[in-house]
Amino acid sequence: MRVLTAVIAIAAGVLIAGGYFFPALTDVQTLLLNWAIILAGFATLVGIFNLIAVHTGKIRRGEKGSVYSALLFIALVATLFFGMILRPDHSTMKIVMNGIIIPTEAALMGMLTISLLYAAIRLLRRRADMMGIIFLVTAALLMLGSATLPFGNIPLIGTLLSPWVTQILALGGARGILIGVALGTLTAGLRVLFGADRPYGGT
Amino acid sequence: MVISLDLITSVISFLFTLLILSYLIGDNPLFRIAVYIFVGVSSGYVAAVAWWQVIMPRLIYPLVYGSVLERSFIAIPLLGALLILMKIFPRWAGLARIAMAFLVGAGAAVIIAGALIGTLIPQISATINAFDVNSASVRNISVVEVIFNGAFILAGTVFTLIYFHFGASPKADGSMRRLGLIETSAWVGRIFIGITLGTIFAGVFAAALTALIERISALINFFGNF
Repeated sequence: MRVLTAVIAIAAGVLIAGGYFFPALTDVQTLLLNWAIILAGFATLVGIFNLIAVHTGKIRRGEKGSVYSALLFIALVATLFFGMILRPDHSTMKIVMNGIIIPTEAALMGMLTISLLYAAIRLLRRRADMMGIIFLVTAALLMLGSATLPFGNIPLIGTLLSPWVTQILALGGARGILIGVALGTLTAGLRVLFGADRPYGGT
Repeated sequence: MVISLDLITSVISFLFTLLILSYLIGDNPLFRIAVYIFVGVSSGYVAAVAWWQVIMPRLIYPLVYGSVLERSFIAIPLLGALLILMKIFPRWAGLARIAMAFLVGAGAAVIIAGALIGTLIPQISATINAFDVNSASVRNISVVEVIFNGAFILAGTVFTLIYFHFGASPKADGSMRRLGLIETSAWVGRIFIGITLGTIFAGVFAAALTALIERISALINFFGNF
């Protein structure tokens, strides 16, 4: 089984990666990616089944907070039931999307304002070193620079300093971080293709 | 009396916004109710989308209406799907490894291509192009300014990358230290990382603040409509 799984992972990886660089492999790549999308769809269903199993277990055992698990279970089963019968693009399902999912996500995003502000104040109190000060001064400068004030932009900060920091200094740092992340990703991917890492359980 | 879908959506949206914003007074049951329902609804919706927009058009329809060739090609992912579903039964969960291995291999290939074609090559090209003096006239800036800005971008990129170099050699006292040049470059890299993270923080904060204002505005408008 260990050899079989490694062979499948390496063969699939090499053929799909090859499709990006050799036009002759494009058809094979498209076919394999289509299979991968189908399997990812089933993996999603298995993940959601696991969520149901965890919460029904909590309800059965009467654990603390099982009332919330019951609410989650009812909401999940009801949405799944109507979603399967009516399809996700039905007007009734749009109530679910526009009435629950989008407003809740937006409100949670809004709550992030308070969390970020609190975290920034804590950072200043707990770690007032060079890195922390540069971080907060940059953030404060950029927020001042982008603020809409009755008299327009703040001279120097809004017109010169803020664009230079975002478009030159932060760009350089972000590019370094991005290249670093890409190199790390590339290494992790290559380790899977060479069989050095087998996260599918074939150590 | 017919109640419009818009009204139902507005009332539910109002309720959920209020329940989530109740977190401002601290963690409370109302907030938890909203979050748990949100997780349940989102999961159910994702499952329905996965079924109708992935599994049906890519697996079921070709299997029922496709040609013999299409059906034979689709038999393999069908087998893979059955193997993945074995994860539900602990006794047979091991069989799912075969399908998971295929998914991991495909994922690894996609991230390799994405990292190479989508990030590494474009970012390195953009760093080189920052020194393109021909662009000075197009952007209406001087050649000196182009080189000055390009040098800062290059320095930021290189010093930030050096910061993440953790290779060290043992010293006489047994401690592990990086080379002096790398240590100094990493110190400069920290300044660039601090500025970058500060910029990202300001951007995320602005986006979160916009979302908060939009939600508060929605609450006020809801009352305004009655």
